[in-house]
Amino acid sequence: MKIHEKILTHYLSCTSPVDKEGYLYKKKERTSSYQRRWFVLKANLLFYQERPADRHLLGVIVLEGCAIQHCESEGGLFAFSVVFRGSGLKTYRLAAENQLGQECWVKALLTASHCYLALLVRDLGKQYEAEAKRQAGPGESSQHSSVTGQSSEGLTQSMVSLNSCSSSFFMSVPVRTEGGNHRGSHVLQAPPMPSKVTSKRSPKLWPKRNAHVTPINGPVSAYGEWPQVDIDPLEDFTKLHEYYGEEVKQLRAEWLKRRQEGENYLEKDLIDLSEH
Amino acid sequence: MRFNEKELISLSRQPSERAAELGMRGPKKGDVVKKKLVKLVVNFLFYFRTDEEEPQGALLLEQCRVEREDSLVFSIAFLDEAERKYLFECDSQEQCQEWVDSIIKASYEFMRKNLIFYRTEIHRLTGKDPLEQYGIEDETRFQVTSGLQPVQKDN
Repeated sequence: MKIHEKILTHYLSCTSPVDKEGYLYKKKERTSSYQRRWFVLKANLLFYQERPADRHLLGVIVLEGCAIQHCESEGGLFAFSVVFRGSGLKTYRLAAENQLGQECWVKALLTASHCYLALLVRDLGKQYEAEAKRQAGPGESSQHSSVTGQSSEGLTQSMVSLNSCSSSFFMSVPVRTEGGNHRGSHVLQAPPMPSKVTSKRSPKLWPKRNAHVTPINGPVSAYGEWPQVDIDPLEDFTKLHEYYGEEVKQLRAEWLKRRQEGENYLEKDLIDLSEH
Repeated sequence: MRFNEKELISLSRQPSERAAELGMRGPKKGDVVKKKLVKLVVNFLFYFRTDEEEPQGALLLEQCRVEREDSLVFSIAFLDEAERKYLFECDSQEQCQEWVDSIIKASYEFMRKNLIFYRTEIHRLTGKDPLEQYGIEDETRFQVTSGLQPVQKDN
């Protein structure tokens, strides 16, 4: 199958944002040795080359239909894999030099797929429509975050959520309370990342309107015109929810255990109250 | 350049709302129109020779320009080469327009922009960042001004 390399490399070098880049170790398929490569994540594509300045791209991994999993550390490296679901399909074994790198990459890869973004956009689109309606409606209390106006489809009930301690992607049912603390009862509070890694951008600091915000093709289409994502939310979310629910329990147990062992754990409050 | 071919082929087999036999012509001089099964899956346009299981090729639908050429034909231009276009012939005007719209909306960058739009608007209307409930508010890919932010680098 022809992949039209030039189109891919052109996309890589164009001005749209890079989502993450850095050195990682990649295991060669047949031997068990790791090779250090420069990885660049853009959209749902993970490119790799020998060094950052190289013109020659070694390869690309299209991140659709895969799961990201933590692995046992080996040789002092913090390993994780990109596992493609399906018979005869690959598993890419990667590793970071430290745990923080591992966590950041795992999280970035988990949110990389087109499918994930489509679901997120669909969900936010619904929230936006509901908010806009509510604000337009006369005399309605804006505090009553009701779900009645929205369909009871899988998306509003089971939300996509991420736990940075967990190694995989799971769904959880958020508890919507009035006055809006949207943290779900099942969502594990992520330990705060050290500030050098993430920018602690409080939404309160955002400018109200941003020129970058306008979608390219004019005003955003009404929800009904959105392209259908190729899954049936009711069917697949339930399955995914069950599947990942099990994994989450297990991973949470492992995480708590690691935490108790004091491994690389920061002495900080679990919940950072200062931002709210 | 290496790529995960088997996995992409597997992806091309996913159900798609946008799949049809279209007349397809490549961008080079001398390319002729041929009937292909054209299928849109995520941000890739796969095309198959008639009756073949494996796609002949995959076009990444990012940084491209999709245009209506005439009532039944649309084109896709890549690499900022406005004159080198892939042409697709449809059976009806309606079908043609549907393809154009679907391809535009399938672009990851287009979806990202819409996400940022919703995020900003919901925040403006409610005072809350809708991504917080998912724990992804700090992810570089969802930042409002990601073009200006320092890229998350680790060495």
